[in-house]
Amino acid sequence: MGTKRYKGIEKKQARWGIAFVVPALIFFSVFNFYPILNAFYTSFYDRRALSKLKPKFIGLANYVRLFDPARADNPLSFYNSLKATLTFTVGTFIPLLIISLLLAILISNLSSNRAKRFLQISYYTPAILSSVVAATIWMLIFDPRGLGNQWMNLILNTPGVDHKWKTDPMMLQISTMLVYFWKYIGYFVILFIIGLATIPSTIYEAATIDGANKNQTFWRITLPLLRPTVVLVSIMAMLQCLKTFSTQYMFYTNGSTRAPINVITFNIYITGIQDQYLGRASAMSVVLFVLMLVLTLFQFRTTKSGENIDY
Amino acid sequence: MQIQRTYNPINLLIYAFLLVMLFFTMTPIIFMITASMMTKNQILRMPFNWIPESLNWINFKRAIVGLDENYIFLRNILNSLIVSVTVAITTVLLGSLTGYGLAKFRFRGRNAIFIMIMATMMIPFEAIMIPLYMVVMKLRIQNTYVGLILPFLVSAFGIFQMRQYLSTFPTEFLDAARVDGMSELGIYWRIVLPNAKPVIATLSILAFRSQWDNLLWPLLVSQRDKMKTIPQYITAFAAERNTDEGAMMAAALIASIPMFVLFMSLTKYFIGGSAVYESRKG
Repeated sequence: MGTKRYKGIEKKQARWGIAFVVPALIFFSVFNFYPILNAFYTSFYDRRALSKLKPKFIGLANYVRLFDPARADNPLSFYNSLKATLTFTVGTFIPLLIISLLLAILISNLSSNRAKRFLQISYYTPAILSSVVAATIWMLIFDPRGLGNQWMNLILNTPGVDHKWKTDPMMLQISTMLVYFWKYIGYFVILFIIGLATIPSTIYEAATIDGANKNQTFWRITLPLLRPTVVLVSIMAMLQCLKTFSTQYMFYTNGSTRAPINVITFNIYITGIQDQYLGRASAMSVVLFVLMLVLTLFQFRTTKSGENIDY
Repeated sequence: MQIQRTYNPINLLIYAFLLVMLFFTMTPIIFMITASMMTKNQILRMPFNWIPESLNWINFKRAIVGLDENYIFLRNILNSLIVSVTVAITTVLLGSLTGYGLAKFRFRGRNAIFIMIMATMMIPFEAIMIPLYMVVMKLRIQNTYVGLILPFLVSAFGIFQMRQYLSTFPTEFLDAARVDGMSELGIYWRIVLPNAKPVIATLSILAFRSQWDNLLWPLLVSQRDKMKTIPQYITAFAAERNTDEGAMMAAALIASIPMFVLFMSLTKYFIGGSAVYESRKG
């Protein structure tokens, strides 16, 4: 009798559990799993928005077109989008990683807690602005008569030179990287400070007793123990950079040329929404998805191995 | 690893570097505030004068009155507020409900469901926006709040955080409430939710920010001026009035005020929000 009643309660409990989980499950099926399957499906069709014609099955033609070497000369081709995205990603996340790690170590070693807190908050402040606002501010700084030129000329001692922040293709790429770097530096500094705080201080004490100097402690203790954080943060930064859109869009709508900043997301937007080639845009989406999936799986693998560190 | 308080050159170098980075992160924000009160000639003057000679409020008026003098900016702020607040609320409610279900109930397929939900974190929004756009077109909900909000109702990340947090919650409390005859929904509402405040704060800030910052999705679904959001307004304003630098900065500053207020009053949850991300590796 007793166990039967207990079973009944357990069954009732299970039903409540399912009821609590079902709404989210339906949501994810409709707004995540269905769309990604649909993107795969649509990528095999020639489908246009606002067209009365039935979508035509064209196999891999969309993908072939994306990676067609003959189209590499077209500055707005997907091939060049990939290149622009990779340039942006590498050019942003490497400085972001190195400088945020450096800043985190320097801040962690300050003796005044007040200075620590002040610097953390100040470095973090740009992150609270929206990407659009960040881009708007920097667009004025990059004006030919703006602060960007004034600072650069002060540093390089080249009075009166215009560095063409928004017009020269390479400078344009650097400008977008700078905006992104500025917005996210504080965020990554804090991630690293948290990572540093998890290293037990006893290890440092032991190292000091053993006669290790600062240099040795950093290269032999801090960096190896921080490795899981470094991997996690760098992949997170890469994933972020691969999805970049607002900054590039903002520069484009303000008159910069599209080709150097035509990142994948931007290309999907133009191809799918403006030019209405839904099939082609879906193929691009699938490529972006696969690219990011590979990075995420890599992150899972490396962080799993990172868990086994024994202090 | 304490830095000694001696004035050796390496320490000077460190302080100089920290100061340069401080200058780098803060000056653009100060520039936005100063420039919003300056005339065009003062903003693009070489060398730049950091203290405005006179306070020039007309920029704010031009930013608010807007491109067609229809005060659509105010409507767009309202739209952004409605979308961001709604998404913050649904993220917390549905996230905690699902997280609670996954943390404290036993049922068949629980782990499979959890893994499925976690797997959606690998699907970037940018890769599914085209199919989502097609769904919105089919449902004819473009230019509506529903269309703006629907894809962001729940976040897998929010569910994950709630589940992690609630699994440490003592089950005895829940059982005691059950013995007292409290309903399951009552337990969720009166015991579970009030005890999840730190996660609620962090998650709602994350959700609010991401929608306040969202440009891409509104670009796809909101074409009518009345239904546009702040990032869209600023983009359009900066593109069409790109010679009115002062008003551009005023619009940018107004759009940032809610975030400044939130940041100053809830700093620890902003900074803590990054800590939450970090815990993903655990």
